[in-house]
Amino acid sequence: MKLRNSLLTKYLLIILVAIMILPLSFPVISIFVFMPLNMGGMKENIYQNGVDIEKLWHKEAKKLAHSSKKEINQQLSELHKTYKEANMFWVDESGNTQKTIPETLSIPKNWSPSYTIEFMKKSHGVTADPFTVVAFIGENKDKGFMVVQVPRSIMISNGEMIRDKYEHLFLVGIIFIVGLFIIVSWIFFYKIRKRLLRIQKAMTRPTSNGIPEPLDIKKMDEIGQLEEAFNEMIKELESSRIREKEEEELRRQLIANLSHDLRTPLTTIRGHAYSLRKESLTDKGKQSIELIDYKVGYLSQLIENLLSYTLLSSGKYPFYPEKTDISRLLRTSIANWYPTFENKGFQIELDIPEEPFYWEVDKQWFERIVDNLLQNINRHANSGKFVAIRVEIISENPVIIIEDRGEGMNGESTGKGAGIGLSIVDLMIKEMKLAWKIDSTERGTRIMIGSVPFS
Amino acid sequence: MKQILYIEDDLEIGSWLKEDLEERGYTVTWLKSGDQALEMVKGVDLIILDVMLPGLDGFTVGQRLKREEPNTPILMLSARTAVDDKLQGLQFADDYLTKPFHPEELSARIEVLLRRFGQAGPNEIKVGHLKVDVEKNQIIDTRTEEELILTGKQHYIFLHLIKHANQILTKEQIYESVWGEPYMEGDKTLMVHIRHLREKVELDPSSPKIIETIRGIGYRIKQ
Repeated sequence: MKLRNSLLTKYLLIILVAIMILPLSFPVISIFVFMPLNMGGMKENIYQNGVDIEKLWHKEAKKLAHSSKKEINQQLSELHKTYKEANMFWVDESGNTQKTIPETLSIPKNWSPSYTIEFMKKSHGVTADPFTVVAFIGENKDKGFMVVQVPRSIMISNGEMIRDKYEHLFLVGIIFIVGLFIIVSWIFFYKIRKRLLRIQKAMTRPTSNGIPEPLDIKKMDEIGQLEEAFNEMIKELESSRIREKEEEELRRQLIANLSHDLRTPLTTIRGHAYSLRKESLTDKGKQSIELIDYKVGYLSQLIENLLSYTLLSSGKYPFYPEKTDISRLLRTSIANWYPTFENKGFQIELDIPEEPFYWEVDKQWFERIVDNLLQNINRHANSGKFVAIRVEIISENPVIIIEDRGEGMNGESTGKGAGIGLSIVDLMIKEMKLAWKIDSTERGTRIMIGSVPFS
Repeated sequence: MKQILYIEDDLEIGSWLKEDLEERGYTVTWLKSGDQALEMVKGVDLIILDVMLPGLDGFTVGQRLKREEPNTPILMLSARTAVDDKLQGLQFADDYLTKPFHPEELSARIEVLLRRFGQAGPNEIKVGHLKVDVEKNQIIDTRTEEELILTGKQHYIFLHLIKHANQILTKEQIYESVWGEPYMEGDKTLMVHIRHLREKVELDPSSPKIIETIRGIGYRIKQ
């Protein structure tokens, strides 16, 4: 199998990607988080750089050298429009505080030298908060000074600001990556599981002919190979089923031919034996011919039974069960046999009810059962000269009883021939879900057939 | 003389049976295959057909013959297993016999078939003191030579039993072929008709000799 099709390769790939992605995830996440923020045109923080503010402030102060107080006030207001977070005020040459923005700023009206020094001291240094810039207005330092104060807290870069805001994003990102790995692994195994279950289902759910449907193969990995092997097996099974059918058909054909080939000469033998009878013969000769005729009949029945048994045991005997009036069927079958027993001088006792009773049987089969049983009596229970066919109600269910007074199943006469006839009866009764019971003694045989098992 | 068309490929059986049937007073045309059967079937009273034939098989030949001459009875002879044949063959065949058949039985079946198809050997059948002319549909009392008049249904029943002489017919079989409808359980109509029929045909209706009751099975007229 090609390595790239292997499930092993696939899973190794997943693990490899996961291992590689984890260390890479930090820079990647930063890129992903910051890029859109930076690119998104977020404006530069104007308070970010103190030097810039200082430069600007001095420049503005210089520009105001020849301005009136009013103009300076105006200019401050103008600047404040840009630097809203900053406090601004200016003090004139005589130490009086002029405009303050906002107006509530707590600054004395008059700047004493000591306050001025204290203010300057307080505002000096990199840690002084707020960040303060003092600039003389004009070139000559005689017009007073203006001050801008910016809280240190807002003097940070965009990056710093974002880092503060989005620090938890890193954690989320890592959890996301790990989670992704788990989900991908889960999907990977879930898919394998699903495909295995599909195969299991296909194997355990055979179609009407007893062979499972072949699977259609989607991927040529290990499971795909399993599916292919499974399909191969099904193909094998199907072809053997076909072969079996062909052999069965061949056997059936053979049976039919064999039957034909055996019966044809038997017909000739019987015919010529019959012709012989018309010649003048001694009594012994007549007896021999009787015997020949009897044996031909016996042989033909044996052939029929053998072949029926073969068909029956291989399930090839046509079977069409339907709800059938048994008492009617019994009457019809007995009507065919009555003359035979009558001619042999049998005492015939019949008790078939007028009312119908129904069993689920195949008519042909049921006739065959009655035929076989009566044929046995005809052939093997001659000595009793008695046959009785009755229907009795035993624990609320009708039961057919066939009785004779022959030598019983173990008697001399029964021989081996009756066996197969009874085997056929047995197979047919079982197949039709009926029950039967034989009581045989040397004084007679009693066979019961019912629709419920006998105790 | 009744004409029998006999189709059989086995020479031994064929020549023997032809002879046997001729001894019984039939005219027999024996064909060794079914190829010419259709040309020979005109005017034949009964067809005896073997199942296994060279060329066209017996079933096919039989079906064609039946289509051509639906009123000619066909008796199938088979040397195959009865199972398949019975299912396949009896759909068009009127009777069926498996080899090795007994000549007496074949002869009896032939007579029954001929009678059933109204081509009975003797036109007159004698039963006890009665003489039945099947062709004229007459029943004559031999003691007085007078015709016995039966009602329609009684006549049908009587003739049905005569046509199946020596056969036991169940009450369902008689009812369904005379009335042409399924027998309803518990229907006493047939019994009533048989009683009335006996009053007319029997010498002593209380101990019937002509229409025999086979207790628990049905009725029979013995010849």
